Amino acid sequence: MDIPILSLLVIIPLIGALVTLFMGGQRADKAKYVAAVFSAVILVVSLFLLFSGMKNDYDFSQFDESYIWFQAAGLQMNIIFAVDGLSILMVFLTALLVFLVVMFSWHESDRPNYYHALLLAMEVGLMGVYMAQDYFLFYIMWEVTLIPMFFMISWYGGPRRHYSAIKFFVYTHVASVIMLIGIFAVVFGAQAGVPGIEYISFAFDAVRDNAAFDTVFQTFFFGLLFFGFAVKMPVPPFHTWLPDAHVEAPTGGSVLLAGVMLKMGSYGIIRICLDDKIFPNAMEFWQPIMIGLGIFAMVYGAYACIAQNDLKKMVAYSSISHMGMVLVGMGCNSVIGIEFAIFQMFAHGIISGVLFMVCGIAGHNFGTRDMRLLGGLAGKFPVYALFMMFGFMASLGLPGLMGFIAEFGLLYGLWEYLAANNLHALILFGLLDMMLTAGYYLWAMQKTLFGKETDKIDLSHCHDIAKNEVAVLAVLCALIALFGIWPTLAIDFIMPFAGAF
Amino acid sequence: MFESFAESLVEAFGQVTYILPQVIVLIAALLAPLLHFATKDGKIVAGASFAIIAISAILVMIMMHTVTYGTAFGMFEFDPFSSLMMLLFMAVAFLTIMVSPVHVETTKHAGEYYSLIAAIVAGMMFAASATTLLAIFIGVEVVSISSYALVALKKNDPRASEAAVKYLIIGAFSSALTLLGMSMIYGVTGTLNIETIGAKVAVMGANWAFILGCIGMIAGYGFKIAAVPFHSWAPDVYEGASTPVSGFLATASKKMGFAVLFKIFFALFVIGSTGVFTLEFQYVFAIIAAITMTVGNLVAISQSNIKRMLAYSSVAQAGYIMIALAVMSQYATTGALFHMFTHVVMKGGAFIMVAALITAGLGEKIEDYKGLAKRTPLLAAAMMLFLFSLAGIPPLAGFTSKFVLFSGAIFVDGAVSMQWMWLAFIAVINSAISLYYYARVVKTMYIEKPACDDKIVVPAPFMVAIALCVIGVIVLGVYPEILLELCDKAAAALF
Repeated sequence: MDIPILSLLVIIPLIGALVTLFMGGQRADKAKYVAAVFSAVILVVSLFLLFSGMKNDYDFSQFDESYIWFQAAGLQMNIIFAVDGLSILMVFLTALLVFLVVMFSWHESDRPNYYHALLLAMEVGLMGVYMAQDYFLFYIMWEVTLIPMFFMISWYGGPRRHYSAIKFFVYTHVASVIMLIGIFAVVFGAQAGVPGIEYISFAFDAVRDNAAFDTVFQTFFFGLLFFGFAVKMPVPPFHTWLPDAHVEAPTGGSVLLAGVMLKMGSYGIIRICLDDKIFPNAMEFWQPIMIGLGIFAMVYGAYACIAQNDLKKMVAYSSISHMGMVLVGMGCNSVIGIEFAIFQMFAHGIISGVLFMVCGIAGHNFGTRDMRLLGGLAGKFPVYALFMMFGFMASLGLPGLMGFIAEFGLLYGLWEYLAANNLHALILFGLLDMMLTAGYYLWAMQKTLFGKETDKIDLSHCHDIAKNEVAVLAVLCALIALFGIWPTLAIDFIMPFAGAF
Repeated sequence: MFESFAESLVEAFGQVTYILPQVIVLIAALLAPLLHFATKDGKIVAGASFAIIAISAILVMIMMHTVTYGTAFGMFEFDPFSSLMMLLFMAVAFLTIMVSPVHVETTKHAGEYYSLIAAIVAGMMFAASATTLLAIFIGVEVVSISSYALVALKKNDPRASEAAVKYLIIGAFSSALTLLGMSMIYGVTGTLNIETIGAKVAVMGANWAFILGCIGMIAGYGFKIAAVPFHSWAPDVYEGASTPVSGFLATASKKMGFAVLFKIFFALFVIGSTGVFTLEFQYVFAIIAAITMTVGNLVAISQSNIKRMLAYSSVAQAGYIMIALAVMSQYATTGALFHMFTHVVMKGGAFIMVAALITAGLGEKIEDYKGLAKRTPLLAAAMMLFLFSLAGIPPLAGFTSKFVLFSGAIFVDGAVSMQWMWLAFIAVINSAISLYYYARVVKTMYIEKPACDDKIVVPAPFMVAIALCVIGVIVLGVYPEILLELCDKAAAALF
């Protein structure tokens, strides 16, 4: 393998972003074709990656790349890319969602060149986060995702976009810098004073191979890293940036934010915090907290959904609830917990894509996302209603669809943990969450799709969804059904990684 | 080739070789008024000063390359540290001189202006290379007195006059404090050579006069670096002085303060390893650092004038650099030196940008920047890079240098230390707070509607200087190896 496939996944969107960025003036309308080509190429490359991994017994080590970036002042930074069972699905999801978002926003007319440049720039950071195997590179990529999102919200967002964009930027940046201290401690702590180490390397492996921390150290710095990741996920009570950012972001931004950016948090927790070479003893302290926070996030998110009138805000809170489930799975720290946490990350990425697109279409076609104003849409807009129902059903865990598999697995993992710790009764919270989730989705459907056609807004001029939107939603729904019926297709990728827990 | 050149230099000039760079810059200072008198053309004076300083810079680089290090008359040492600082000062001088001819206030007094700039640079170079307290003091005074005059050069502007008077009074006070501190230390130890002082105190132990002397110097040079509570002059002076001068003062003369502090206090407390009261002084520096960065950032949030905002952000950056004084380790000092360099390109770039926009008729208020991205997309993008770099957003220079500097508070003497962990926390939280006011300017430039749609045209020299700073911000962020290695060598020379 001479072609650096993984580097290409970062370099291609970077080139695409630069090309579209400079397509100002008359050529701005053409930017979408460029963006489509670039994102399609990335999707093809990532599919190639998937299939060649599949052929090779789900082993991706042949694609590993490692270069020294610079060595100075006793530090060594590396450019190391690798994918494994944890990251391969996220890489694929990123490529897929960016391509679909480009397709979905085909008719974006407000400075389309910048819009597509931002999408592709975000893809650079996301791919980098999921593939980087070096703390320095990882942190850079982690922060690189912030700037395009900041502009995405503040240029293309809703009425309170200025406030939301700055809040999103500063809030998540504070979490990142606290995580940075954890990174410093782990990297320097592992390698300081180890004989034979001339340069302190920021590579993941250099830290894993040399880490030998005492329990107090582990507990403290696990906490710092966990905080940084948890804000991104987000875990209540550090979630307040999310509803603002989601509500104000344009549809494409929301899809990427919920679909792949939130997953950066859970990815980081699994990749770094749950690494039992770095933090073998920290979970003694943190496991109950993670489970507790996860259960709280599940129930709180679902409960908050019931109170929402804005369709998009409801979906935003449902993201918090579903990411809470991921946190529970990670907290279990067992094979089944990790396996389905990763599966849920993948599933939620696809399902939330459908949900946010449906919300975006509501705001765009009907002029409002307020459930109090909408009603009886199913009669007039059957295609729209179909996708909305499908998305909601997938998200509430209807058997046969993707969300069900993930939630079933995670609840089983939770039950295992609770049973081992004699806390059987707490599973009721899981069931409560299921109930609330079903409740708010059904209620939302009842309010918007069924019943009497609304007379509060004029629907006579509204049209049903556009062809490109139908195509994008159909692809996502087909994937939801596919992985719902045949989950091992995805789980086979995950197991080589999750099986080690 | 370079080796034989350096050898012949040493043969020809003897010890003077090691102060040759300073002497060359002094020649520029003396030549500038004559040249202006002869030609009456500011541009020629600027070009000549630029060329002479460039010769000095090339000489410094050759001497660094050939490792021609040594001491002149036991007073001025040319070593990896002082040579690197000289390059820093001269780099700032280049940027300043480059944009000065097109800046209105400088045209009438070109001779004085370039003479003062060259004198300041020479003073800084002397101060950074000095090995005795007296030589340090003289170098710093040359810089201070020239700076007062430089600020006052815009004499028709009452704000500039006020700033100059304020600067003079506070500066004189700080010089007096410094001198008092130095004389006490001389009285205790009987020598002015820094390293000998360190050795003597190590033997006889610290007494109250020594401590008072140190406090006097900390206060005196605290004014120079604008550390809280000695910072009150900085915003007024930066606001009142003409903008290239503000940029020059904010980037260069602060760095001289740090160079001097590093030299004196590392020699006293680390090399001399007095042991006595070292920890106490470390905590003094740590607390000043924490307060400086916090006050700087919090006050910057409420500023509506961009020069004042940048001034307070300079105060905050001084707080970050002071981490090295608190930790007193080679690694943290490497980070501090590296941060000084990245600060030159990002803060210097931001000040040059402000100067350029003033030349183009824009105001100094942040609200004047509304919709700048529509009126001048390239300049707005450059400004965004500078501001994000100051906030420490990767992969820009400010991030990489803060990365090394802040990790210096955690990685102390080859181990992860909990002692300065709190300082690292305060630093990163401050860095995150600072993003708020930088992002606000970016928001003003990119999101708000412009007051008018006129395109903004700035003179070519500004574009060149800004382009150089942009390149610096990106290259130092993405590929810092060479400079970081130099900073490491320079820091090693201090320990």
